[in-house]
Amino acid sequence: MIDRLVGLICILLGSGAIWHAQTLHVPFAADPVGPRLFPTIIGAILALGGCALVARPGRVELEFGTWPRALAVLVASLIYPLLLLPLGFILATALLCFAGSLAFHARPLPAAVSAVATAVVFFVLLDTVLDLPLPRGPLGI
Amino acid sequence: MDAFSALLTGFQVALTPLNLAVAFAGVALGTAIGALPGIGPINAVALLLPLCFALKLPPETALILLAGLYYGSGYGGRISSILLNIPGDPGLVMTTLDGYPLAKSGRGAAALAISGIGSFVGGTSAVILMTFLAVPLARLAMSFGPADYVALMVLSFALLGTMSEGKAVKTWIAVALGLLLAMVGIDGGSGVERFTFGSLELLGGIDFTSLTIGLFAVAEILVLAEGMISGVVSRTGDGARLTLKEIVFCLPAMLRATGLGFFLGVLPGTGASVASAMAYTAEKRISDKGTFGKGDMRGLAAPETADNAAQTGSMVPMLALGIPGSGTTAVMLGAFMMYSITPGPLLFTQRPEVAWGLIASMYIGNLMLLVLNLPLVGLFARLLLVPAWILYPGILALSYAGVYAVSNSPFELLITTAIGILAYLMRKVGIPLIPLMLAFVLARLLEDNFRRALSLSDGGYEILFSTPTSIILWILALLAIGWPLVRQMQGARAPAPGEA
Repeated sequence: MIDRLVGLICILLGSGAIWHAQTLHVPFAADPVGPRLFPTIIGAILALGGCALVARPGRVELEFGTWPRALAVLVASLIYPLLLLPLGFILATALLCFAGSLAFHARPLPAAVSAVATAVVFFVLLDTVLDLPLPRGPLGI
Repeated sequence: MDAFSALLTGFQVALTPLNLAVAFAGVALGTAIGALPGIGPINAVALLLPLCFALKLPPETALILLAGLYYGSGYGGRISSILLNIPGDPGLVMTTLDGYPLAKSGRGAAALAISGIGSFVGGTSAVILMTFLAVPLARLAMSFGPADYVALMVLSFALLGTMSEGKAVKTWIAVALGLLLAMVGIDGGSGVERFTFGSLELLGGIDFTSLTIGLFAVAEILVLAEGMISGVVSRTGDGARLTLKEIVFCLPAMLRATGLGFFLGVLPGTGASVASAMAYTAEKRISDKGTFGKGDMRGLAAPETADNAAQTGSMVPMLALGIPGSGTTAVMLGAFMMYSITPGPLLFTQRPEVAWGLIASMYIGNLMLLVLNLPLVGLFARLLLVPAWILYPGILALSYAGVYAVSNSPFELLITTAIGILAYLMRKVGIPLIPLMLAFVLARLLEDNFRRALSLSDGGYEILFSTPTSIILWILALLAIGWPLVRQMQGARAPAPGEA
């Protein structure tokens, strides 16, 4: 069932790639092949692979652990880029690590301590020692 | 220039203070990262890759660092395999079979010692073989035309398919996805935008560092967060120490494993996991008297030696042909390309300081690793006691910090996370990530050679099959493509056709 679904997605993606390649408008071609042929072939391979999966699906056991924890890490990761510039590296990273620590079964207080420590250590290591500028927050840190 | 004098010039590069320091940092960090459960060589290299670029290290220095991480993690990986029974990457599954029983019986220290020595024997012998084989192989490839390269790349994709049991179709899907992802951005040949969907940020294409971090750091953390992997640390124990007699006893096994491991490493597509599995099976067939799997030293030494020999071996085709033999060397090839250096036949003549400096550094690095891994192994083993809730959020933060340091763009972090989600889903449905990585790195080379070949013939496809080399490679590729597909179709048909 899962394999059929994956196959179907591959067929869609493959056909999408082929269609996209055909819409490319080439003002001039330096070589006789142009930019269309290669994506067309690859799209076809993807679609064919998808067909093979739909026709002869294997058995996939979808195993999830405690997936809400992975989801929590994911949500934190998605919010992180939005906070990075407004809050600065240290604060944003501490929040990311705090959420991450909780997801990895930490109690709130140790999680907060380790999150702040991680953020500060990386900031000092990357920004101060290795001279790779990281965004600073409103307070200049 | 013969291999000796070339190697000497290499040592001049490798022995500069910066390169020595970087080699040490690489192997020490590699051992440390390799020791962490659930994290293997490819994660180690991916994690440090952005920092190399952000720091604008010279190419030979960056590669010495990345290579050190690679073979260093091969040493470190045995620690979690032996003490935790958790292999850090597929190449280490075999290490657990006899290593964990030894640790449980109190001989953890001896197990760590013999596998450390095995890693050293495998790693160093493979570097010696590489010193003498790389240039002849490169010379052979000098005559390769565009058509030969197209065939060679198709062959290495096809070999990946044969190696993942029953997953040939999914391997090809991963290859196609990797090639498509690499096409995002402006096409070099015609200046046309492909797959950018009007987004300005995507014009430059998907950044290589974002891809590696997404595939091998973000996705890894997501899987780990689900708590699918866990284990109990077994103590190193106070059983008898390793004796000289035992080392001599294991030596034939190590030498056999070196040869096998190096050979399998050099073959494109097959990597350390195949090598260590085959070395274990071979050794079992030769020497087993019912002791294998219950803590036989040779059953530990053989796969661990083969694993390291194969790691180094897989760097040979990457350097000499420009075609990586494993996922991690694919990442390293990508690193070469970001420095606008094309590995392959011309590397040894055009950039000898990079090629030979790297090879020379591997002699030094292996010696450093022997010291780090025999007396100091306890220090690395203690890393296993760092709680997951400090470790993994830290790795995630370092990943994003690295991507940001390279790109200076929060948008790139979103792309990285998106690739992480894709990789997570791919792992769940059983599509392998390594072929995607390999294809992404080779995509440019493949398309360029494909188009170059076809412009030579003015669009005639017969040119792809015009040289003897290309014909041989195509036949091999067809066999490699056909065989697992046939087997998978039979396999899918035989048991319970109605299911799934």
